[in-house]
Amino acid sequence: MSGLAWQQHLILLPIVVPLLTGALLIPVNEKHHQRKYAANLISTLILLGCALTLFSLTDSEYWSSGIGVYLAANWSAPYGIALVADRLAALMLTLTAVLALASLVFSSSRWSRIGVHFHSLFQFLLMGLNGAFLTNDLFNLFVFFEVMLAASYGLVLHGYNVSRIRAGMQYITINLIASFLFLIGVALIYATTGTLNISDLGARVATLGVDELRLFKVGAAILALVFLTKCAMWPLGFWLPTTYAAASPPVAAMLVLMTKVGIYALLRVWLQVFAVDSGPVAGFGFMALFCGGLLTLVFGAVGLLASDEPGHIAGYAAIVSSGTLLAVIGYGQPSLVTAGLLYLLGSTIATAAFVLLTEFIERIRTPGASLLAVTMEAFAIDEKPEEPVGVGIPGTLAFLGLAFACCALVITGLPPLSGFIAKFSLFHALLNPEIGAPDLNAWLLMGLIIVAGLAGIISLMRFGVRTFWASGNVLPPRLQLSELLPVATLLLLCVALTVLAGPATDYLRRVTDSLHQPGHYIERVLGEPAIPGPVRLQEGTQ
Amino acid sequence: MLLPVLLLLPFVCSVIAACMPADARNREVWLAGTACFVSLLGVASLFPQISAGEVMRYELAWMPAYGLDFVLRVDGLAWLFMVLVLGIGMLVVLYAHYYMSPEDPVPRFFSFLLAFMGAMLGIVMSGNLIQLAVFWELTSITSFLLIGYWHHRADARRGARMAFTVTASGGLCLFAGVIILGRIVGSYDLDVVIAAGEQVRAHTLYFPALLLIVLGALTKSAQFPFHFWLPHAMAAPTPVSSYLHSATMVKAGVFLLMRLWPVLSGTEEWRWIVAGAGVCTLLIGSFAAIFQHDIKGLLAYSTISHLGLITVLLGIGTPLAMVAAIFHTINHATFKASLFMAAGIIDHESGSRDMRILRGLGRHMPITATLAIVASAAMAGVPLLNGFLSKEMFFAETLLVGGDTDWWMSGAALAMGIFSVTYSLRFISIFFGKPQVDLPRVPHEPPRWMRFPVELLVLLCLVVGVLPALSIDQILHNAVYSVLGEQMPSYDLAVWHGLNIPLVMSIAALLGGVLFYRLLRRRFNPDLREHVPLIHRFSGAQGYENVMSALSRSADFVLELFNTVRLQPQIFCILLAMVAVIATLGLPSSRHLADPFANLDPLFALLLAIGCICAVAAAWQAKYHRLAALALLGGTGVVVSVVFLWLSAPDLALTQLMVETVTTVLLLLGLRWLPPRKTPKELAIEVPRRVWLRRSRDLALAVMSGLLLAGITYAILLRPSADTIGDFFLLRALSEGGGTNAVNVLLVDFRGFDTLGEITVLAAVGLTIYALLRRFRPAPESLVQPEQQTDPLDPAIHQAPSRQARTGYLMVAGIYLRLLLPFMLLFAVYYFMRGHNLPGGGFVAGLIFAVAIILQYMLAGAVWVEAHLRVRPFRWLGLGLILACATGLGAWIFGYPFLTSHTAHLHLPLLGEVHVPSAFFFDLGVFSVVVGSTMLILIALAHQSIRSHRQPGKSADVEASASMQESS
Amino acid sequence: MEAAIAITIGILFGSGVWLVLRPRTFQVIIGLLLMSYAVNLFIFVMGRLWIDQAPLTLAPGTPDPSVHADPLSQALVLTAIVIGFATTALYLVMMLGARGLTGSDHVDAEEEDEQ
Repeated sequence: MSGLAWQQHLILLPIVVPLLTGALLIPVNEKHHQRKYAANLISTLILLGCALTLFSLTDSEYWSSGIGVYLAANWSAPYGIALVADRLAALMLTLTAVLALASLVFSSSRWSRIGVHFHSLFQFLLMGLNGAFLTNDLFNLFVFFEVMLAASYGLVLHGYNVSRIRAGMQYITINLIASFLFLIGVALIYATTGTLNISDLGARVATLGVDELRLFKVGAAILALVFLTKCAMWPLGFWLPTTYAAASPPVAAMLVLMTKVGIYALLRVWLQVFAVDSGPVAGFGFMALFCGGLLTLVFGAVGLLASDEPGHIAGYAAIVSSGTLLAVIGYGQPSLVTAGLLYLLGSTIATAAFVLLTEFIERIRTPGASLLAVTMEAFAIDEKPEEPVGVGIPGTLAFLGLAFACCALVITGLPPLSGFIAKFSLFHALLNPEIGAPDLNAWLLMGLIIVAGLAGIISLMRFGVRTFWASGNVLPPRLQLSELLPVATLLLLCVALTVLAGPATDYLRRVTDSLHQPGHYIERVLGEPAIPGPVRLQEGTQ
Repeated sequence: MLLPVLLLLPFVCSVIAACMPADARNREVWLAGTACFVSLLGVASLFPQISAGEVMRYELAWMPAYGLDFVLRVDGLAWLFMVLVLGIGMLVVLYAHYYMSPEDPVPRFFSFLLAFMGAMLGIVMSGNLIQLAVFWELTSITSFLLIGYWHHRADARRGARMAFTVTASGGLCLFAGVIILGRIVGSYDLDVVIAAGEQVRAHTLYFPALLLIVLGALTKSAQFPFHFWLPHAMAAPTPVSSYLHSATMVKAGVFLLMRLWPVLSGTEEWRWIVAGAGVCTLLIGSFAAIFQHDIKGLLAYSTISHLGLITVLLGIGTPLAMVAAIFHTINHATFKASLFMAAGIIDHESGSRDMRILRGLGRHMPITATLAIVASAAMAGVPLLNGFLSKEMFFAETLLVGGDTDWWMSGAALAMGIFSVTYSLRFISIFFGKPQVDLPRVPHEPPRWMRFPVELLVLLCLVVGVLPALSIDQILHNAVYSVLGEQMPSYDLAVWHGLNIPLVMSIAALLGGVLFYRLLRRRFNPDLREHVPLIHRFSGAQGYENVMSALSRSADFVLELFNTVRLQPQIFCILLAMVAVIATLGLPSSRHLADPFANLDPLFALLLAIGCICAVAAAWQAKYHRLAALALLGGTGVVVSVVFLWLSAPDLALTQLMVETVTTVLLLLGLRWLPPRKTPKELAIEVPRRVWLRRSRDLALAVMSGLLLAGITYAILLRPSADTIGDFFLLRALSEGGGTNAVNVLLVDFRGFDTLGEITVLAAVGLTIYALLRRFRPAPESLVQPEQQTDPLDPAIHQAPSRQARTGYLMVAGIYLRLLLPFMLLFAVYYFMRGHNLPGGGFVAGLIFAVAIILQYMLAGAVWVEAHLRVRPFRWLGLGLILACATGLGAWIFGYPFLTSHTAHLHLPLLGEVHVPSAFFFDLGVFSVVVGSTMLILIALAHQSIRSHRQPGKSADVEASASMQESS
Repeated sequence: MEAAIAITIGILFGSGVWLVLRPRTFQVIIGLLLMSYAVNLFIFVMGRLWIDQAPLTLAPGTPDPSVHADPLSQALVLTAIVIGFATTALYLVMMLGARGLTGSDHVDAEEEDEQ
């Protein structure tokens, strides 16, 4: 019988490889830390390889309309569970692998040793993330969310102290309740449509009666609540800054990505089921998403102004980006989604890099001096201008300053880095819709994004000045290459995203085009035939 | 091809400069100086084409889809500004070499300076509005870094923050403005935009675009009401002040206004906004300048006023005004830069910049004094100097605006002229009089080459002032032509236009200035005044800081209202959201049954009633009577499992029952570590009213959510089920899944992928729990032995648990349970084997197995059990996962997707032929994982009690890992 | 019948909600368990109610779906039960850890100032 092409299996590997690695690492004693780290690293590298290959495959003509389908257990959709790799999924897989690599290398020097089983949990987290990006089945999505969360619980509490356990208590409780909502939503959708396959939903929804339709909408809305809690929409996202501030930097870097999983799920389900031309439920909930996004944006901006702890700043920056993306999705204009994805990439990478940086920043911060600086600011005091001679800054501090500046530029969307490009393309898309003139919402969104950017500028500048300038002669921290390298790499990615803005936007354009033509997607998923099975009938007669 | 090189060179050099060692002063200077000089030559080589009215372009595709390309465009205006930027840059570099003290870390300084130079070139060369905005913000950033160069000084830090906040916000406005402009025109390309002036001015979006762009320009050029940042930017080293904050960066604003003049100017809005801001600025600036004590402060305010002058000219909007504006931009750059450098020299050589103590410097540094006096004469607009020419043009223009009826603008201009003469006099007064003796240093002439830049610039002032037609005419013509194009006015640059009103005004300004200065000296000597009269109340620094702190305070306030760090409100929000969603989207108008309780078996009803009562009672008791609550909870659990059984779900019933058991054991093990809690009645305390309120609120939410969920359930149950994909599984379970128990076949075959994830969750949770309990520290008060174990009458307290089980009062139970063990294991195997066809399966079996083991633990204590059998949870976990995963991968061998189930036909001795479906191994993996994680959790909990009898802490980790971390 | 089940689910869920809104970790964990019962029942009945029609296709020949309960919803519940079990255990241990580390059994791991 003809086997599957290896390219097919690539769709599965991002889930199985971390699972196997994590399982293998469980019985290994913590004494062999280096070996565990090595195994973890290798597996993550394999993941990166898979992700990149999928990236090119989905963008090529190998699969019709660039969508690869893998029928787990060889049962055709909608009955079995189908894994689907399209451009968006491949993109997110790549992002995951890159961030995972960065935080893994970062953790190697210190963080992965402060507790046990870090590496297994880390791999399980990757499994959950990749699964959530690949699966096309609502309940399977739930399962992978749970895998991801279970691992993240462990990682948030990893090396636990009072602050981590407090944050963990919030994080875990809220996610448990969110999981209940998830189940309720899925159950409702199943009860009304009789299917769990996302691609199958659209067709079945079209046949529903009025009452069923209402119930279905309730289910979908409850599901949306879960995703919105994950991506910290106001008022469902108060857990986020606390958790970011408490978690250890490498873990927090992964959390940054996890907020984007909610966004991803929304993109998938909403654009596929509630697309503008999908009959009875067309455009359902988009307005709510938009308003929620705006509220979140404002909330994040205010939070940025109010916070001067690096952890909180990172948290509110993530909230701002979630808000922007929600509003972008809710605005419901393809060209805007393209720009939104560019923004997502940049902000995710930069926020993650910033989270990693906070560690060093904490090392060089001297609260007393910065406090003095704060009071001098507040009362506009000038000390006697002493001999105007500058203080030299050693290389490591210079690097930290530069890295911090880059993160700040991207997060606040100042030129010349990718944050600015993303904002430019957002505004361009807002002001140049395919048809007609920009409406009031467009102006509102644009204004709020600008204001949020300003808030970010003020907050980050205040923080940077107090940390790097006002804290007297700080002795430079001891940095290891394994800690510098990830940060530098992430920032270089931001730079690359800026220079290659043209190709990047073209690619993202293709991504959103396929997102907004769910027709191909659905037809590929439901059309994928199962391989004719081995004759199983002889047990049939027992 | 020359253009990109010109732009890149400074940036490249900046990187090189940053990498140099801290003491490489000369190398830095050579690098920077050469860079400037070479680029200057390059620019000069362009002069012929420029004079021919040619516009050079260089394009590079960047984001073509968005109309954002990298376009370099050089015309007369850009060329003029490039010369300014590079020329003065070169002089500043030379000057800085002597100014910066040897201890200063010059690499940072020069690399920032070069980066700024590149950014500034970028602004003037940009052929695309977005690109222009990019470089615009870059200049803000670099200026921020340069002002904060001496960042150990608070004033430098504040100056930097203030400048950056203002200019960066202005940059954002500019950004928005140009995007709107691009929206109007349909392109961001400068040439296209400039060509579309009519269309823009007619468009409805014209005003917002104008407002935003002008905001950007005014903030950058320190125009009223944003002028306050410039004086504070003087905390920067003097070379920076003379370069950024007088000659180039602050000119970016007026440059932008000139660039977009053909597009935006000529309307009422333009005139009122631009000219209005300009007039206020030039009056305030020139007036405030008089009363400064710091030389640099005086120069800063005079810069503000001169920028105001240029802005007014641009606002007036006649072609001739444009000529005057550009001309004055050049002149101001020359004399103000030289003045700043002179001020730096004075500061450097005498150790002070305070005009109250500086006296008679003319004796000590005659040459510098002469240069400074000439330059300030140019600033005051004395004839035969360049300042005079452009200022006279300015007077002429102001007259033109008013015509012969309305003289207010001429009045303002005259006042400004008078003030500028006055502060120039005040400035040069430091060179006269008898020398001050107690200066920080004894003043003397600076090094030869430190003075050279000043000399050169002053020479320029003179040349332009005396022979304008020969020196500057062509350059000015190019610049003006590139802006005005066809509507090029005719003008002649001459020192003597005959006796006309502008000349009278100039003379009046000169005389008035002298008089005003004498008057001031007489009446209220500026040296003795602390503040600027009339307008001193507005302190930029304090105002800025107040705004900033107000911002963060109000942000805090808002967070107070709309944020929470507590858990309960967050849960409340989420559940409230759910309730709201259901309520708003609404329950369907459900067709009611005649009798909703039809065909309700009374026994079943009773069962449900019990379940409900248990649940409510548990909710009632959970706070003060934990054990009772636990028991009640168990009751509900059992009821639920019976309901499953009743409603034909035997698998669920079994699983629910086992899970119930294990969970209860877990909770029981946990209870011991919770603090005692007494009811308020026992403590005789009053429950505050706030708490009652919150409770009633929560109660309302609970009732609502319960009702709505019930309503939805009912609504669903009233409907016939849609044709679900469930039927498919029933049909194929046996024929293709190879099992009669559809549920189990679903779990291990159809949706085996879910199960794989599910056991991963189990494993992850097990690991987390182990990691947590490894570090577990019991609270001190829960360390004391419970009184049951300290009762002196009880002989058992001296026995180890194992002994109690062997000979103590647990003997009966002990024997019984040990006999039971093999049977329970057999049960586990039985349920496992039948799983595929009848209720059962790996999960149930695993739980039974785990319970069997844990019973032994409960009976004889952890120590004894582990002495007799080694449970190795980690191996169970790892192997289980690997087994399940490997089973799935096995399908690859047969060329099938992951987890495809197969069946092997084995001929075993004495069993005959058996079918071994691959699902069997998968289920085995599940079994093993369940056993592993359950044991891990229970044992880890059980170990706490052993540990806590010893003193907590140090031995804990060791022991836990000794007993559990078995593999090595 | 339907109404009775619906009411039961409502009551279980309601009491669960009440408990998870309470300040003590033990109350919360009991609440989570009650909620999970309710949710499991809810998923289960989404496959509608069947009596004595277990999804066991023991009868020879091709089975008739109309006489068997919906196996899918049962499978979903099974998975949900397992995951619920795991997370409950985790929550329990974390609440013990919090109690041990902070000395408090409040959900915020610190007593509210108002009480």
